[in-house]
Amino acid sequence: MEYRDKPSVTGGAQAAFLGSAVRRRGVLTGAAALASLATMAPVAFAQEASRAGLQRPSEPFPKRGGSLRIGFGVTTAHFDLTQGGSASALCHMYNGLVRYNLSDGLRTIVPDLSSAWEISSDQLQYTFMLRSGVKFHDGVVFSADDVVASFQRIIAPPEGIVSVNKGIFSAVDKVEALDSMTVRFTLKAPRAYFMDLLADPANIVYSKKVLDENKGDLKKVIAPGTGAFQFKEHRPAERWIMERNPNYWDAELPYLDQIELIHVPAWTDRGTGVLSGQLDMSWNISRETWDEGAKRKAQFGANRLGNYGCYAVMFNTKRGPLADPRVRRAIHLAVSRQDMITAFETQEMINLTRWIPYGNPLATPSDEISRLPGYRMNKKDDIAEAKKLMAEAGYANGIKGLDFCVASVAAHAEILGPAFQDQLKQTLNIDCNIRITERALQIEDEQKGNFDIVLDTPGHTMGDLAVIGNAVFRTGASRNYGGYSNATLDGLLTQYEAATTLDERAQVASQAQDALDADPPWFLVGYTFHLLMWRNALKGLAFDYRAFSQWGRVETAWIDS
Amino acid sequence: MTRYLATRFAGAIVTLFGITLLIFMAMRVLPGDPLAQISSEGQGQYRLSPAELQKARASLGLDRPLYAQYGSWLADIARGDLGRSFWRGEPISELIMRRAPITAEIGILAVILSWLIGVPVGAYSAINHNRRGDLIVRGILTFLTAVPSFWLGLTLVLVGILYFSWRPPLTIIYFWDDWRGNLQIVTGPAIALGLGLGAVTARLTRSSVLEILFDDHVRTARSKGLSERVVVTRHVLRLALLPVVTLSGLALGGLLGGSVAVERAFGVPGLGLALVQALNERDWMVIQNLVFLYGVLYTVINLIVDVSYAWLDPRIRYG
Repeated sequence: MEYRDKPSVTGGAQAAFLGSAVRRRGVLTGAAALASLATMAPVAFAQEASRAGLQRPSEPFPKRGGSLRIGFGVTTAHFDLTQGGSASALCHMYNGLVRYNLSDGLRTIVPDLSSAWEISSDQLQYTFMLRSGVKFHDGVVFSADDVVASFQRIIAPPEGIVSVNKGIFSAVDKVEALDSMTVRFTLKAPRAYFMDLLADPANIVYSKKVLDENKGDLKKVIAPGTGAFQFKEHRPAERWIMERNPNYWDAELPYLDQIELIHVPAWTDRGTGVLSGQLDMSWNISRETWDEGAKRKAQFGANRLGNYGCYAVMFNTKRGPLADPRVRRAIHLAVSRQDMITAFETQEMINLTRWIPYGNPLATPSDEISRLPGYRMNKKDDIAEAKKLMAEAGYANGIKGLDFCVASVAAHAEILGPAFQDQLKQTLNIDCNIRITERALQIEDEQKGNFDIVLDTPGHTMGDLAVIGNAVFRTGASRNYGGYSNATLDGLLTQYEAATTLDERAQVASQAQDALDADPPWFLVGYTFHLLMWRNALKGLAFDYRAFSQWGRVETAWIDS
Repeated sequence: MTRYLATRFAGAIVTLFGITLLIFMAMRVLPGDPLAQISSEGQGQYRLSPAELQKARASLGLDRPLYAQYGSWLADIARGDLGRSFWRGEPISELIMRRAPITAEIGILAVILSWLIGVPVGAYSAINHNRRGDLIVRGILTFLTAVPSFWLGLTLVLVGILYFSWRPPLTIIYFWDDWRGNLQIVTGPAIALGLGLGAVTARLTRSSVLEILFDDHVRTARSKGLSERVVVTRHVLRLALLPVVTLSGLALGGLLGGSVAVERAFGVPGLGLALVQALNERDWMVIQNLVFLYGVLYTVINLIVDVSYAWLDPRIRYG
């Protein structure tokens, strides 16, 4: 299977995307993407460029110049993406090997610093042919050595370097340069989501020279990238300014003279910032300002996008009544997700989701979820079943004195926490005492297991079951703070990771979700929407039909002034 | 006077020393550790190993004994070096230099506004005490005192957005760079803070003027044939303003540190918001140094207020 620039047959690139390069996301969302693309004539403009491995805006006749002002929380503890620096802020200056396609709403994966790739039939070798004529912002010529150095640092970081994505790259056995413009990744076992990992805006290519100069630690260095924008100014917790890279390898891009990332921590301020014209866009704003923008269609665009952060009440499965899976299942059945979502809707929009979030092609469709026990609106049968389980577990009369740890964030401590507490009491006669902790301290309690149940907002970089499961559900996972252990699920996760066909993965994913429903580690309230809003003058980013939320690159953007 | 100033200065030094000790100990005694945040970087996907945590702790100087940490902090202050943020590594002095001008402008404007409103309204209310005008003014003052400034701020922002599609700028604009843009940032918060403070100033002025209005020296002034306007402005207000000066001084001391709620309501990136963010991040160095800065401001302003008494009331002399 391979992807190559400029395929000779019309539509070949799309077919190649769907067939190989983006098997996971492409196959499953590709049909929908094609259907939607077919109805959008202007997108053909972008499609042609995409087939040539280049990004183009979804609307034709882009105008040059201007500054794009994006409002969001752009603080970053340091500047090293590999070590956990904020990709939302830094990604504009860099490129990866591949990337999600801006012109089709992130539905496919397209080349970035690679120009073509081949995947071996056993799916253990990924060979990337690199784009020529690329230079870093400091003038250094890009080559395979840069790719090897960057990914080697992710996979096997040197002493003292923390690679936050080391775990999800653990299947990579080695990365090597075959020649100056060809790189090969060899995997220990097939990973269907491997291209998605490479497309993540955090997994970018640094200059080997800069890595060597800084002994592999770029925390204090704003390293030159190959990206469409280059660093101009940074005021911590206030703003970033990045200006157009005049030597960008794609001479057509970017159209903007600069982008300004403005630190606006409060959702409402971000919303009012867009409404008042002080911002051109914001990735996630408050509900009321989003509603206001959605009403003013002549001025603003608004979309809600599935993302990979959720609200969940985690169970400590190592102690007390919650060590019994029947009690956890009873709570999963009895508490109404719809009521929780309604109670919280003035704060943030939560989806009715199962364990795989929307935005991922294997997510269970909403109409199917709404008929499942535990997720359905009518709770009569679920509560009866839940009471039966409680009785079997020896808690027919309920439970007293559970320690419920909730962060001091008003929306958690005053809405979602008490709503869950009340539902436990009403449905299963479970009494829990809410213990408010500061959000900054909650992680400590979680790590030490100092809770019976805890309301948290876990997030993931990808919506893939393997990535989520290996981080939070697998026995001994780094963020499995409740000590959850389910041998069936562990086996299914292993099986899922090794699955090479879509059907097989879909089947295993379904079984894994069933296993989680049967023996839940959390009460999953649901994954959230991000409420995206932009001024209509902002073009080129296909915000109308994005598949999922990604606070990423914007080099195809232009301002219709 | 010199002796008095020297005594007060010595007292201020002791006070500031106490503040540094208190805030330093409070940060260490209260639960929470900057490393709890730092160790959950990257959405907590990666958990630092104990060895890595220890290394990070050492790099922040947190592995040293408390007295050594405290001593080096005081030494840094003495050298004028406020250190760097644990979380972002930026020099704290730069953070203060960037944010303090906006916060100071808001505080000073709010106090000026409170005087412009409070003193004439309070004097009018006192002179017309228990008449219809006084009752109306007192009603309004009670309302303004009761309304929280952050609510007023939110209302101003909402009205601006919903009816005029306007809100104050989100980024810092200094007066010397663009005075129009700057005034758009500071006017709203200054009004939100100044109205409430003005109401309190008016009530204080009223009661103070009422107290002095029937003093012997005022009766003497009237008996000399001075007009009521001259009596009030020269013989009553000057004395009546003593408590108002104290109030405004204390208020200014607080406002210069930033009004967290109002800065939050208007989204002004001032010192108040910086402190809140530092608290959330358990950024001890930022918290310690900002609290120290507030202590210095309070102490200096109190000193200025005390000294100004002698100018306002000729009967007061410092020995």
